[in-house]
Amino acid sequence: MLIFLLILPDLLTAQEEIASSIRRYKEREVSTGFYEEYEVRPQRQRPLLGVPGISRGIFPYSPSAARVRNRSRLADSHWGLKFYERRRCEECHIRETKDLHTVRANLTCRQCHGLEPIAGLKHYYSPYNPIRRHAYVCAKCHEGASVSFASYLVHTPNPALLSTQKSFPILFYLFWIMIAVAAGTFALFLPLTVLWGFRELFIKKEKVKEEIEEESEKVIEEPEEVIEEIGEEGEGEGEGKRIKTRKIQKYKRRRSKDEPGRQV
Amino acid sequence: MNPEGRYRIRRFSLTQRIFHLLLILCFLTQGATGLARLYIETNWGRSLAWIFSGYESCRTIHIIVGILMILGLLVHGCYILYKLNWRRFPFSLLNPDSILPHPRDIKQFFQHIGWFLGLAKAPRFERWNYFEKFDYWAVFWGMFILGGTGLLLAFPLTASRLIPGWGLNVAFWAHRIEALLALCHVFIIHFFIGHLRRQNFPMDRSMFEGSVDLTAARHEKSAWVTRLEETDSLEEFLVLEVSSTRQAFFYFLGYIFLAAGVYLLIGGLLNIFKITW
Repeated sequence: MLIFLLILPDLLTAQEEIASSIRRYKEREVSTGFYEEYEVRPQRQRPLLGVPGISRGIFPYSPSAARVRNRSRLADSHWGLKFYERRRCEECHIRETKDLHTVRANLTCRQCHGLEPIAGLKHYYSPYNPIRRHAYVCAKCHEGASVSFASYLVHTPNPALLSTQKSFPILFYLFWIMIAVAAGTFALFLPLTVLWGFRELFIKKEKVKEEIEEESEKVIEEPEEVIEEIGEEGEGEGEGKRIKTRKIQKYKRRRSKDEPGRQV
Repeated sequence: MNPEGRYRIRRFSLTQRIFHLLLILCFLTQGATGLARLYIETNWGRSLAWIFSGYESCRTIHIIVGILMILGLLVHGCYILYKLNWRRFPFSLLNPDSILPHPRDIKQFFQHIGWFLGLAKAPRFERWNYFEKFDYWAVFWGMFILGGTGLLLAFPLTASRLIPGWGLNVAFWAHRIEALLALCHVFIIHFFIGHLRRQNFPMDRSMFEGSVDLTAARHEKSAWVTRLEETDSLEEFLVLEVSSTRQAFFYFLGYIFLAAGVYLLIGGLLNIFKITW
């Protein structure tokens, strides 16, 4: 056991979970943590993604351009969004507010994504670029984070959705396999439990004390045989042994009368 | 000891009972700390976490107890290897006393269903019936998944050296679903069949006391008792009932565990739609 414990990594040092927005993150941060007061408003510039004929709406250039894959290489990923400075992250990024880092660890968007402008994930100088994400973002809290560690999806997609089959197939298939195992177990054993419980309502519950008393009466009716058995096995031994021997003989006799396995 | 008391047949050794007691304690702790974290958005979850002095402490306790469970499983593995009859190996695995699954278990499962429906005679169970075997091996299956994914999640930096970081997303969901499956199975099915069905009501003390009533065993596990009688080895298994004080203690202990499990089950079900999954 001790060797096994020695093999394990240190329990709660760099691998500690950062669960408190007060104790952990802000200990290491220079700013006050009140991000909204210090937001830099984005420049009112149109991106070079405009398409002829589309000039109105929140995304005045192209509906598809609003998706991350089209904006992920911009220095300001929110570049050109109308009324951006008056909007809040969760108004558009609803799903991204429903994960462990936000719900459990109480982190705000700014704590990881930083101040404006928020660069696209794949912009070369973005702190979110996979070449430096582990050092610039993850390591703020998870000291010693590696490139591999940074491939953890903070905003995990809902594993049950069909869209996850394309974006994260292993998670999708594992989720449904595990659900199938769980559902299979309950589909098999829940009805069995109900039926078992129900069936036993209609059988005679073993009244052990009564049966023992009945057996005792039978033994009294056959005194010679019992005395003989005790005489063979019981002499020179303890009282408990004598009684036990007598009981075994009783059960053997009764077995010949009762059919084993009787449950009704 | 009351010599006129019921005669009972020994079913579990002291070592096996200690293993089961440790499993109960670890399982309930893991269930409580795990659910406290899962339900931390709700008042119920926060009150549960308060018992373990908060959200972060729950994780620390969960990890330490989880490692103890893995060690317990390894010790149990050694115990199995020690108890195995190596002289007659591998035929000893097919011994009726063996808890390994046997083809007759499938037959008895369907026969049992038939008995529920009034279509067949009750199956003559051996020492371990199909359900008990499933319950026993399900722990291994659960420990393999929960222990494996639990270690990955407990040590994410080390784990991400062995697997890609996104593997932790997968491990997290596997851990979560398997844990909920285990909790629901134990708190609903295991509790009901083990303790609350009519034959065992109000509680099956055998896992605490180590023995079952011989008359009850003759009806529930007739093949086992018959075999012992035919081989004249029944005497070795007969024991006297424990004192009333110890029985009361076993009932108290058992119902504490039962109440804890039911509390976790009901709290979890009532708050199931209040959390972010």
